[in-house]
Amino acid sequence: MDEFTLRIFRFDPEDGQEPRFDAYRVPYRDGMTVLEALFEVLDHQDGSIAFRFSCRGAVCGACAMFINGSHRLACQTQVKSLGPEVTVSPLPHLPVIRDLIVDMEPFWRKYEEIKPYLIANSEPPEKERPQDPEDRKKIDEMINCILCGACYSSCPMVWTGEDYLGPAALLKAYRFVADSRDDASEERLAVVSTEKGVWRCHTVFNCAEVCPRSINITWSLQQLKKLAVRKALF
Amino acid sequence: MPERVTDPSVLRRSRDTWPGNYKVGMWAWVLHRITGLGLVLYIFLHILVISTGLAGPASFDEMLHRLHSPVFLVMDSVVLAGALYHSLNGIRLLLFDLGIGVRRQREMFWAVMVVAVALFLVAVAKVAPLL
Repeated sequence: MDEFTLRIFRFDPEDGQEPRFDAYRVPYRDGMTVLEALFEVLDHQDGSIAFRFSCRGAVCGACAMFINGSHRLACQTQVKSLGPEVTVSPLPHLPVIRDLIVDMEPFWRKYEEIKPYLIANSEPPEKERPQDPEDRKKIDEMINCILCGACYSSCPMVWTGEDYLGPAALLKAYRFVADSRDDASEERLAVVSTEKGVWRCHTVFNCAEVCPRSINITWSLQQLKKLAVRKALF
Repeated sequence: MPERVTDPSVLRRSRDTWPGNYKVGMWAWVLHRITGLGLVLYIFLHILVISTGLAGPASFDEMLHRLHSPVFLVMDSVVLAGALYHSLNGIRLLLFDLGIGVRRQREMFWAVMVVAVALFLVAVAKVAPLL
């Protein structure tokens, strides 16, 4: 493959035009990622395209996009794995600000609702709060989340439920509920065990399928459901 | 200069709501919804059809005769297929709520499909001689 077609979603709310896709011919080089291809276009063909990125190494979560039928990180996706035609659009079901950039405001607002920080009742220690390796292991998977929003955008319950907290926020809630150092499980379960929380999840598993960190988010949500039932019954 | 994309098939495939982009769990969910609605509709049709045989023994026999016509047998097969899928996938979903197989959801879907198709074929083999 010497060259491939890169189609980019274009939208500028200020120019009064309908959204469209523009197609560019991009020279391929070995190991090229979709993010590098976007830069190739930005640098040499069209300086007007807008997209988010930061770390280029799949740890910051800024470049989540809808690429060839799936939610992926542009920096983590090899052009070679997609073939000679690559179509890139912004994360679906979030308001588009411009081109590939979406407004993550609903995502962050819901994220805040579950109190995404450690709440410990004990006095702050001099150095840090130690944790057994065994206890830490329980949250290894959830800690890998980079808050890219791929799961949120892929979830049909998010598409249809304006208030649904969504997979990422609920995963984070479980991350703290399962953390041996955290003392606010009750508080968090109260937020989570509602119709806008875990009970809106219909185990469609899109979140687990698209997560660029291979986190099975649904598993954590199922754990929360179990804890919520236990709390209500006993 | 970029070229404007106008190919409708490309534009269709660029959406996550396009069925070609569905993943396994999404298919399982969509099929569950469709068969669920279908089964609700069936209950009402069923009541309607049965009510045509209530005007005495003769009308009851007539109704039974109608129910054995190829059209009804084919429609029954459709109901059976939907009911099989909906109930077996329902078990899959219940197992998830018990915490079983949450990390094996794709395999569970295919297991549902294999069992549903197998039971369906058994039923068809029984019904086919009646046609």
